[in-house]
Amino acid sequence: MEHTELADLVKLKVHGVLPDPNTETQIVILKDEQHADILPIWVGTAEGTAIKMAMEGIPTPRPMSHDLIRSFADHLNIKILRVVVTDVKNNTYYAAVHLVARGEERTVDSRPSDAIALALRTNSPIYVTQDVLKRRGGGNLDALLEKLGTKNLGKYEV
Amino acid sequence: MLTQMKVRGLMFDPYNNAYIVLLREEDQGEMLPIWVGKSEASAISFALEGIAAPRPMTHDLMKSLLDSVEAKVISVVVTDLVENTYYAKIHLMHEDSEFSIDSRPSDAIALALRTSTPIFAQEEVLRKQASEELDHWLENLKPEDFGKYES
Repeated sequence: MEHTELADLVKLKVHGVLPDPNTETQIVILKDEQHADILPIWVGTAEGTAIKMAMEGIPTPRPMSHDLIRSFADHLNIKILRVVVTDVKNNTYYAAVHLVARGEERTVDSRPSDAIALALRTNSPIYVTQDVLKRRGGGNLDALLEKLGTKNLGKYEV
Repeated sequence: MLTQMKVRGLMFDPYNNAYIVLLREEDQGEMLPIWVGKSEASAISFALEGIAAPRPMTHDLMKSLLDSVEAKVISVVVTDLVENTYYAKIHLMHEDSEFSIDSRPSDAIALALRTSTPIFAQEEVLRKQASEELDHWLENLKPEDFGKYES
């Protein structure tokens, strides 16, 4: 992943978080800037909530897990450069957090849900590799999105 | 004054549909039950049982981030109890400076277990939570509920 050029990456925005009516999970809808490509990523309820809270900017009385990560980064002069969805295997997505610490760029492995929750809290860009976008799961994606409706998506439209 | 605590167990509380992390003073003294949500409980349970997840979980990411700058977690402390809500702090050492960072106890404990860091509670917190209701509740727990993580 370290060798992936920025040119191979597609920048994504978090478009919304929706409950999956079929399972007890949530779907994070990522879209590219031209709204041409959609990348849905299934996450757990807690992870979905962590992303929704960041999107809505809801302050909590106590820091949530990703607020704590941000707090660590702030205190230790770690700058989050970007997060990248790097791979998909058996419908499981993998991600990396790119950061600068002590003048050196590093990458740290992460689940996409953590990476996105952290990116939203640190105003860091979210990318996916062209390769993952091509291989993204499900020929029935359109059917799913149709089923979910576009009305629900409006809430977090950015 | 601080009292060192050990994670003594993790159990489901069907009445509140939540999980309880049970901390106990090292010499088998005071107990401190902390109610946490399902995902927080699972983060603690993974660490207690030493299960390596196929992908890094949230607190593994936290640890990786700290490792990337060689920051060391010195201790975590349950600092306060206000209206049934616990507060905690994580103490870090980084390049000869000490940092103290606000956290929920669940995050602090999940991180402490992954970094072999001692867990403490303010004595005042232990006093505050020692209510009769709690004692009654604990009496009704079966011994086997505690057995699993006995150290």
